[in-house]
Amino acid sequence: MDETALIFAAQQGKVDAFNELVLAYQDQVYNLAYRIVGDPASAADATQEAFISAFQNIARFRGGSFKSYLMRIATNGCYDELRRRKRRPTTSFEDFGELDEEANPALINGSERPEEYAERQEMAHVIQAGIETLPPDQRITLVLSDVQGLSYQEIAEATDVSLGTVKSRLARARGKLRDYLRSQGELLPARYRLE
Amino acid sequence: MGRLFTRQARGRKQRDELLSAYLDGQLSTGERARLEARLATDSALEAELEALRHTVALVHDLPPTPIPRNFILPQTIAARPRPMPSKGHRSAWAAPLLTAATAVVSLLFVVVLAGDLLLSGTGRVAFAPAGERMMEAEAPQAALAPSQVSEEVTVEVEVEAEVKAETEEVIPAATPLPMPMEAPPEAIPEATAEAEHYAARTPEDVETTVAEEAAIAPTAPATPEGTLSPDQAMGGGQIEEPTVPAPTPSPSVAEEAAATPTSPATATAVPERNVGGIGPTPSEVAEVAPWAIGEEEPKAAESGRGAPEGEVVGVAAISPWRVLEAILGLVTLGLVLVTVWAWRVRRR
Repeated sequence: MDETALIFAAQQGKVDAFNELVLAYQDQVYNLAYRIVGDPASAADATQEAFISAFQNIARFRGGSFKSYLMRIATNGCYDELRRRKRRPTTSFEDFGELDEEANPALINGSERPEEYAERQEMAHVIQAGIETLPPDQRITLVLSDVQGLSYQEIAEATDVSLGTVKSRLARARGKLRDYLRSQGELLPARYRLE
Repeated sequence: MGRLFTRQARGRKQRDELLSAYLDGQLSTGERARLEARLATDSALEAELEALRHTVALVHDLPPTPIPRNFILPQTIAARPRPMPSKGHRSAWAAPLLTAATAVVSLLFVVVLAGDLLLSGTGRVAFAPAGERMMEAEAPQAALAPSQVSEEVTVEVEVEAEVKAETEEVIPAATPLPMPMEAPPEAIPEATAEAEHYAARTPEDVETTVAEEAAIAPTAPATPEGTLSPDQAMGGGQIEEPTVPAPTPSPSVAEEAAATPTSPATATAVPERNVGGIGPTPSEVAEVAPWAIGEEEPKAAESGRGAPEGEVVGVAAISPWRVLEAILGLVTLGLVLVTVWAWRVRRR
């Protein structure tokens, strides 16, 4: 069944049809949430809430990109989570290293040597830390663009801003992240360092 | 120095925006050509572009994080009612609205309170209930012997039969025994003036005092009822047309206070004052009397239809200002409490 038919069936209240869509998009939605909120537990909660909300509001979906529709709902959920944290700062589990991806042997690519895998994970940690230094608007725009690969137009729709604002936020986010990575130069593996 | 720094920061921002848009292919043909020409000659700009490109590539190459579980929805989700907006969402608009309402109501409360204080501060005695003024008027008067008062001061009025009939019609329950003399409220200021003079002079001077007092009357706007004409004043200060009969006081009080309208409150207050010997000083009364003459006469004309004085006193005692202040105070207090609660819910 193609996406349009699944969406139509979901609009008729078919949960199975909607779950097909969940399986198709859950990795993207979870990764979006994880890169924005920065910890797996909150990302999982945001992802689940996004799918529930998407199903409950699917009657309002009037065509267009279903991915954008989902990203918009997930982005709003992440905004809420960031606002909640601002009001009540908490320490994430990751700060204690309890959910380090390194601990999962399944993540190791068969063709990748353990040192290379360790370097990549180290780099991912540094980049994630850099993303988390950005203000929410810039962080979300950067993740939607450079992690999720959405176009300027899709980002503008997902975040309810103009194309000019997307362009400006993205440039500032990239510039700040570049400066952050430069400041971390000595800590980065040689092949990832910025000149 | 600061301006230079700001200009540099702005320049960096513009440059990053240009380079970022260039990386995404978002520049127009002309902009792109101009930038590429600059990049060919400006190695620093070229290095910035490469650093930015590298940054974007690093983010893009971030390894996907494996999902901790499946997010498929249970079948029961279809039967689940749509969640209502949470209290927090509702109070999101309620809290600022309540804050504004509290501000408006408390401001109104302050304005009413200030207005009341100002008005009562300037015209406290002038607007005081008639009973109070009577007490002021009677205290010095009562210091005189009753006989003197009855002979020379008391305004003796022969109430005409028509007036009696009218009075009885208007206030059937006022008194079973018609008052021998009933003075309208208009007489109050004059009585006050009299009292002042009597308090200050010997009884022998009283007649001339009445004449003097009568001379004051024409200066104020004359009302058809209850104003003493010079002739009447000379002839013993008769009041022409009593319109407001008082509820029956005790006969002794009626005699003593014959020159002034009486009310139950006044009737009881007079003897107390006499006993205690407390009364306004003549100077106090003198301050008030001219004021009261001018203010009270139009009012008396309005109330000249036969409304009992006691009723006027009762209305004045429960001032609408006080009622308004009490209501506004309670509403303000309630709103403050609800607003505090709404903000707490919103924060939660």
